[in-house]
Amino acid sequence: MKKYHLGEFEEIVILTIAILHKEAYGVSIKEEIESRLERDVSMGALHAALVRLEDKEYINSFDGETTEDRAGRPRRYFQITALGKSAMEYSRTTREGLWKSIPKVSLDLKMVG
Amino acid sequence: MEKKIDPPALMLRFFRWYCHPKLVYHIEGDLREVHKKRVTKIGKKRADLKFVWDVMLLVRPGIIKSLNASQRINHTAMLKSNVRIAFRSLWKNKTSTLINLVGLTVGITSCLLITLFIKQELSYDTFQSKNERIARVVMEYNFEGSTDSKKGTFTSTKVAPVFSRTFPEVEKGIRMTDANVILRLNDQLVMEEGFMYADSSFFDVFDYEMLEGNAATALNNPYKVVLTESMAKKYFGSESPLGKILPNGNDKVVYEVTGVMRDYPQNSQIRFDFLASFSSMGQNQEKTYFNANYTTYLLLRDEQAIFSLQEKLHPFMEKEMEGTGASIHFFLEKFKDIHLHSPYAAFVPNTSMRYLYILSGVALLIIVIVCFTYINLSTAKSIERAKEVGIRKVSGAAKSQLFWQFIGESIVLCGLSVLVSFGVASLLLPSFNLLTNQSLHIQELLTASFLLPVVGATLLVSLLAGAYPAFVLSGLQPSTVLKGVFKNTKSARLVQQSLIVFQFSIAVFLIISTLVIQRQLHFIRNKNLGYDRSHVLKIPIGWGTTQDKLNTIKNELKVNPQVIAVARGNSSPVNIQSGYSMRTPDMPTGEVISVNANPIDEDYLKVNGLQLITGTNFTAQDMKDIDTEVWEDKKYHYILNESAARRLGWTPEEAIGQTMQLNGPGTVSGVIKDFHFQSMRNAIQPLVLFTESQGSSVLVKVSGERMQATIAFLQTKWKELIPNRPFEYRFLDDDYNRLYQSEIQLGKMMNLFAAIAILLACLGLFGLSSYMVQQRMKEISIRKVLGASLLNLFRVLSGNFLRLILIAFVIASPLSYWLMKQWLSDFVYRIDVSAWILLAAGVLTLSIAIFTVGVHGVKAALDNPVKSLKSE
Repeated sequence: MKKYHLGEFEEIVILTIAILHKEAYGVSIKEEIESRLERDVSMGALHAALVRLEDKEYINSFDGETTEDRAGRPRRYFQITALGKSAMEYSRTTREGLWKSIPKVSLDLKMVG
Repeated sequence: MEKKIDPPALMLRFFRWYCHPKLVYHIEGDLREVHKKRVTKIGKKRADLKFVWDVMLLVRPGIIKSLNASQRINHTAMLKSNVRIAFRSLWKNKTSTLINLVGLTVGITSCLLITLFIKQELSYDTFQSKNERIARVVMEYNFEGSTDSKKGTFTSTKVAPVFSRTFPEVEKGIRMTDANVILRLNDQLVMEEGFMYADSSFFDVFDYEMLEGNAATALNNPYKVVLTESMAKKYFGSESPLGKILPNGNDKVVYEVTGVMRDYPQNSQIRFDFLASFSSMGQNQEKTYFNANYTTYLLLRDEQAIFSLQEKLHPFMEKEMEGTGASIHFFLEKFKDIHLHSPYAAFVPNTSMRYLYILSGVALLIIVIVCFTYINLSTAKSIERAKEVGIRKVSGAAKSQLFWQFIGESIVLCGLSVLVSFGVASLLLPSFNLLTNQSLHIQELLTASFLLPVVGATLLVSLLAGAYPAFVLSGLQPSTVLKGVFKNTKSARLVQQSLIVFQFSIAVFLIISTLVIQRQLHFIRNKNLGYDRSHVLKIPIGWGTTQDKLNTIKNELKVNPQVIAVARGNSSPVNIQSGYSMRTPDMPTGEVISVNANPIDEDYLKVNGLQLITGTNFTAQDMKDIDTEVWEDKKYHYILNESAARRLGWTPEEAIGQTMQLNGPGTVSGVIKDFHFQSMRNAIQPLVLFTESQGSSVLVKVSGERMQATIAFLQTKWKELIPNRPFEYRFLDDDYNRLYQSEIQLGKMMNLFAAIAILLACLGLFGLSSYMVQQRMKEISIRKVLGASLLNLFRVLSGNFLRLILIAFVIASPLSYWLMKQWLSDFVYRIDVSAWILLAAGVLTLSIAIFTVGVHGVKAALDNPVKSLKSE
């Protein structure tokens, strides 16, 4: 079996890229995560995660248009690769598998507690 | 308007600097976009702050660029190539390599030796595990009505027991004193000087390593002794000495050996070969604080106790001494500070911290000179290497690569010199030990704690010396260099010149200091001291040897025509430091004057060449007056020095026949001229010489001819007359030199290192001038063709250097003048730093420099001009 590895924050980032679909570039990803998860995302953490994801070839990127706000710097758009997709799915299935294996009692108790 | 919204430019530049080039564009775009949004939302100021924060958080692996472009290059191959190039270029420039290598080796060797010396001095007493808690007691006393007090490490036997009973801070008290003992080894009498008496608490206070015997009981009774390992071997061979009797020469007191301990470390203020129980001396008393002949150490409860105890001591002593007509104060010194900071010597001579500072300063100056030589030679060489740099750059070498290549060269050179220096240092160590009176070991050089800093220092020196040339060379523009119009830049020349000035300032400074120190030492050695110390032998004899016996000795020795006179006294005139108190009948009762005094006999003045101003010398009758067992019958006679007479309010003439009291009542027989009976650091003080039938030395004045035969004669006679004491003599001259041991040592070291410094500075000048001449070869040839004389050419070539050396002289001489004045102010009797010393230093430096530069200049000027002109 192939080994996929997605860190917690990496998973959030790649999911967000999927949500934004073709509109995913640095600032939009940052704002999307911030609004959905209600947490601050630093530029450093985000770009480090993007570099890592790209190194693992889960995503790739291409230069897009530029705006006046960016002083001529192009936006860099990210999209998910096939490998990225299977990594996401692997991560999801393993997680669901884990969820299913939890005995009812355990969770119920937790709820009560 | 637009500008206002821009993020902080500095941070932006910082970001662009560290960010990986692949990412820099779009991340900057993102940053700007976010920033702009924030500006409208939360204002410019807070947006800027957030921007700074963002940029900071972006500094993380993956986003910052890799260190430099050369990272992608095959490292080992590049390193190998760099090292090879370094060796090649060092080999190619043999002269400058040799100069640098010699300079660095000499410099580093000097520093290694100095460091070794300093390290040894700093390590004193550090091995004692309780050294933070030990204090030494210093006593100061004076008699009521007297203004001068005496202070020193002497204490009476009372201090230790009283203090440990009275003050809770004191855990243990220990009394010690060192003495000589005469032992018998293979039927020969041997004087052993390292015989120490100490309380049994020695083992509680100080560290030791017992090899045989029980420390807890070893010194508990009188006449017990613990030997060091080497003494045990010396007197008992391989047998165990435990329980045996120490072969005593005098047969009076016998010591039983109760233990053997490991030899005491050299770096200790307490040094001994034998440790005998204090009670053996039978001096224990708790009646008086006087009779202060012993050193007291205290082991305190904790490190802070020294302060609280010190506060209690003065009030306590005021009470103790009430109504005795004298006052005594005790001061505590921290044990571990004694060797470097105390003015009072321990059982071994102290070293002044200032002395160590001077030496480390000298070491630093030497290294600086060496570094500057390297810098100068390398920048001078840059013309030759400019082409190489140009080609390398054209072929794609980055500036940083070239920089490290040149640094690499200096590291190779430094490393090489350090290796050579270790060899040279170990070869020179025995002579250095002789010079400094130390016993340093080369093994000390090879410990990790020493090697690690050495490696660090090597790299540092390589960087310091290599950075500037590397910076200059790697910064050359290939286009200008390869066109062939490259010349030393103005700034490079300025740096070279300032470095030369600096080097020679150091050299001038060291020369002046050395000259002053030598002059002062010469002054001390040759000053008319008021007595004649040449050809006088001092032979220790028992204090209580009777007058009759002594007269026999005197007569027997004087049989030899070479023996001019024989006298007995306690101290020789070289150093008299015995405290007595004197008084005249018309002084109020209870009032006394403290004074140095020395018991002598009627021949003492003659032996030592002391000059009577008025009155008479002691007579044989005077000596008989004192030679009685009954204390009350003793009639003393005194000879005062001028200062003592003045102190008592008499002119020399008035003093004769006066009655006064010192030890007992007596009359003044004569007044002698003042003479230096202590170190030149002190002014001449009052001194009283008095008749006494006791005294611990015999002084023999000999003619100085056929010295060996005379000494052999003295020895045989001595063995005949005093079989129970070994014949051990010292010349007063040597004793005198010992007084100034630390100055003499300083003088020797300064001589050596000043010579090294000037040598190194000249080495640099030699190398530099050789390059300068090479560069100006064509100019010289043309001048010569046009008819310039040898002198003209010489002036052209050396004029510049000479100006620099004059500047150096102007900078260095006032500084050294001031510093040497400070040093001299320690001496009451001293020379002046006269103008001629400064002048001599200047002329010396200048002539050495002229010679150095001249060698090249003359060679160039004598060359056939055709040779250099025909080639292009």
